[in-house]
Amino acid sequence: MSALAKFERRYKADNADLALKDWDQLIASNAPDWVQAFRKRGHEIVVEAGLPTPKLERFKYFNLPAWLKKQELSYQSFEFEINGPTNFASVANDDFSNVPDWAQDLITAQPLGEEKYGDLMLERLSDAFFSDALIIDVPEGEQITEPLHLKIPNKENAFLCPRIIVRVGRNADFTLHEEHQATHAQWNNAIIKIIVEEGARFCHYRYNMNGDQSCFTQNTSVHVAGNATYEAFTLTAGEGLSRNQVHVELQGAEASCDVNGINLLSNAQNADTTITIEHQAPNCRSNQNYRNVVTDKATGIFQGKVHVHRVAQQTDGYQLSNSLVLSHAATMNTKPELEIYADDVKCSHGATTGRIDDEALFYLRSRGIPEEEARSILIQAFVSEVIEEISHEATSEDVIYKLSQWLSTASLTFEAR
Amino acid sequence: MIEIKNLHAEIEGKEILSGLDLTIGNGEVHAIMGPNGAGKSTLAYILAGREDYEVTKGSIELDAEDILEMDPDERAAAGVFLAFQYPVEIPGVQMTTFLKTALNAVRKARGQEELDAIGLLKLMKSTCQKLGISDDMMKRAVNVGFSGGEKKRNEVLQMAMLEPKFAVLDETDSGLDIDALRIVADGVNALREQNRSFLVITHYQRLLDYIKPDKVHVLADGKIAKTGGPELALELEDKGYAEFTGEKAA
Repeated sequence: MSALAKFERRYKADNADLALKDWDQLIASNAPDWVQAFRKRGHEIVVEAGLPTPKLERFKYFNLPAWLKKQELSYQSFEFEINGPTNFASVANDDFSNVPDWAQDLITAQPLGEEKYGDLMLERLSDAFFSDALIIDVPEGEQITEPLHLKIPNKENAFLCPRIIVRVGRNADFTLHEEHQATHAQWNNAIIKIIVEEGARFCHYRYNMNGDQSCFTQNTSVHVAGNATYEAFTLTAGEGLSRNQVHVELQGAEASCDVNGINLLSNAQNADTTITIEHQAPNCRSNQNYRNVVTDKATGIFQGKVHVHRVAQQTDGYQLSNSLVLSHAATMNTKPELEIYADDVKCSHGATTGRIDDEALFYLRSRGIPEEEARSILIQAFVSEVIEEISHEATSEDVIYKLSQWLSTASLTFEAR
Repeated sequence: MIEIKNLHAEIEGKEILSGLDLTIGNGEVHAIMGPNGAGKSTLAYILAGREDYEVTKGSIELDAEDILEMDPDERAAAGVFLAFQYPVEIPGVQMTTFLKTALNAVRKARGQEELDAIGLLKLMKSTCQKLGISDDMMKRAVNVGFSGGEKKRNEVLQMAMLEPKFAVLDETDSGLDIDALRIVADGVNALREQNRSFLVITHYQRLLDYIKPDKVHVLADGKIAKTGGPELALELEDKGYAEFTGEKAA
């Protein structure tokens, strides 16, 4: 055995077959050739590389194989639940005859420089099971203020691979609102691929409120054209295992993105937020702003990277991840990264991890506010800046409501060992 | 009426108060003066219930009720108020939210009806007016970006709204120019009434020109070293605290 093979074997989980076991029956269906070829390519890659394990740097705190071993999942097909401006959305499965060329190109595109053991490993698994796709195509100039609401059904012991393909045409404006609330044992390995064309804006809001039996892996990739904007906000509460992975490519001059979120983590929850922003054009702006509140035995992970390519002069890149850790058994892992090849850029990154400020807590209590309520007020204040950055007002109000619900049930008092 | 008897307190094993006795009758204003490090701020924090200090001996009673076992918020409901020497900045918490939460928590604990947003706004406006405070302070986060004077006025505003039986002013004069000092003192004087006692902690006599005390105490080495009328403050201004610290006057 060569040294290289040994090295690779260390990274390979031994239970990729658990995830692939229902693949044969899917591949037996009569999908068109391009779909079959695409599935086969995904399958081959997973057979070779396996599933991501904590031995890989990018998945260090995200132990999917351990979770999977405890499950008895089977691959299942499902139907998207959508509400709102649904006339821009269509579902493709079975014969895939309604998949337009642009969507097919986006689905099958192979990213340059993809690494075998990189962030896209779970996307390849989803490729192998490519079946249920929601295609959202917003024509040029359409200004839609009402969000499209999307839910994935709650199926017990299901392994689901939803795929959402979005194109927001030039100067159009569209908002997608995803709500995930699995109460059963379920693995939702979701792919969402987004193109925001020139001058357009796409607002992408997500609530991950899945139960403690669930695993939710979200693989988001976004192409933002010149003068276009991508605004994402993800609220992760609930429990369970999750990975919110976002790759944004700012491809045209003056493109911008906000990839923000709040993680409210309790019990044995494990939530991984992994963000990469590729600045590929000059004068682009990116902003990553996260607040993490971690209590009980929960674990939070934030790894955010800004990669400024040589051509991306006058980049404005900002990254901040602040965390409050409320118990001795709670953990927060933060890894901010900047990789800069252009010489005229403005980039900053910051990360803090701390407890609730005793001075502020005493001040509030000395005014008659009971301790639990005082803690709750300070936590709301801690996350408020990120909520203020949500441009859709109804969503920001909804987030405030969900936050107060979480605060009323979570244990907020610092538990010493 | 507040009665402190034989109060001993320490922090991290170091004794700060060692047998302090003090009684303040209803409607009275007492001043505590003393050299730096005598334990003045410790006393203020202990009265408000700060947990960093351990009371090892003695008692504190407000209207014959023991407050030592109470949490800070319970003390506030019982009628204790501390105006902080350094009011804490709390980014992200709006003044109105803060005042509403505090006032309603206290009202609830006292068995009074809670105020709705409109009722609170009215009360806030009228209180600001009464104290000569501009109400645009209310649109900001608690103490964030407030000048020294604004922070102290904000303390007086909170005091006025929470209607304590016993208010402790911890070095309220520190960092204030003469105009700001006058506004704050006027606010305090407007709150003087028969059923409210004050303890004014200060290093300098200046504040007592504006808030006339009934009695002046000197705190040195963790206990009351001397008690007198307002004239004692003037005497201290003249002679300094050398008599109490064993050092020569500068």
